[in-house]
Amino acid sequence: MEDLKKKALKVPVSGYIALAVALVIFSGLMANVGGGWTMFDFDTLNGKFGLMKTAKASFMGQGGVGARDGFLFALSLAPGVMLALGLMEIVEHYGGLKAAQRLLTPILRPILGIPGICCVALVSSLQSTDAGAGMTKALRENKDITGNELLIFSAFQFTAGGIIGNYLASGSALFSYMTVPISVPLAVMLVMKLFGANMMRLYCKMFVQEEK
Amino acid sequence: MSQEVNQQVAAAEKTMPASNDTIMDVFVTGARKGWKVAIDNIIPNVLMAYVCIRILNVTGVLAWFGKVFAPVMAIWGLPGEAIMVILGALMSMGGAVGVAMSLFNDGTLNGTHISIVMPAIYLLGSKIQYLGRLLGTAGVPGKHFPVLLGISFVNAAIAMFVMKLIAP
Repeated sequence: MEDLKKKALKVPVSGYIALAVALVIFSGLMANVGGGWTMFDFDTLNGKFGLMKTAKASFMGQGGVGARDGFLFALSLAPGVMLALGLMEIVEHYGGLKAAQRLLTPILRPILGIPGICCVALVSSLQSTDAGAGMTKALRENKDITGNELLIFSAFQFTAGGIIGNYLASGSALFSYMTVPISVPLAVMLVMKLFGANMMRLYCKMFVQEEK
Repeated sequence: MSQEVNQQVAAAEKTMPASNDTIMDVFVTGARKGWKVAIDNIIPNVLMAYVCIRILNVTGVLAWFGKVFAPVMAIWGLPGEAIMVILGALMSMGGAVGVAMSLFNDGTLNGTHISIVMPAIYLLGSKIQYLGRLLGTAGVPGKHFPVLLGISFVNAAIAMFVMKLIAP
């Protein structure tokens, strides 16, 4: 069992590389660096639709309304979603998520007041709300976390649930209209998730009787 | 064997580059998932949002909402109509993005407004679904739901203030 545990916790070097590259690509750091470095920028990779001949608008046209316009707009999101999830798949495949778990484990107790064992569930919850919720249930059923820790962890997941997955999927539609880099709202949301969980921590401390 | 080890081994096996898949194969697997999300999730949700906005527009309710909520949304430097993005977010994140896009297209929202409202879309996103999908699944007792919802609203309000300060 110890062997298994060790094996599970061993993070390949490729994991750290994949994680670092992903952080760079999705942060927009390289957007304005110029030259070949812009290949490490999500917006650059996503590109843009061409314009119709002698027109100012892409295939979505201008002045559309209703279901038809909504359909074309939603269809225009598909490439960004496919690119984002394709990149995330690579990160996961090469151990990037494991690297993130490894780096997060020691800091969970101080910043959130939940044990390091929640790390896998936490990283998963950033990508998929349902995966996080399922793992959290298992943690509680195994008595790995207390009732209050469940509340704190749930508060973290409940606000901006599945944030990385959701933000990159649907949010990508609005990225090019924002006046800030795509990493700024993401950073604000992650900070607010921590803030929210700590509000719950405080609430638990003051009002909730701990049940074992 | 404890659940923890089980989980970690499962996670490890999932992340080990054990198969012979090339990096291209892996990307395509992910892109295929993205296609499914786009078709099953984003297109229906966005289409629904556009139809709702169309109804609100044709009936004049949107303009009325804009007037009524103008003083509230002004706190964050947003026009009153932005309340529709927030309300849309409570139902679905993709829907809220559709509403924001639709309001951007008709000139109600500009890039700065989009930047301000962006974190709120997700901090408040899909609250109604998540009561069941997340809190229900994880086994959180129902008596704590109001506090959890309250935290989400406070988070969104603060995030919009922060974005108002940051966004040019």
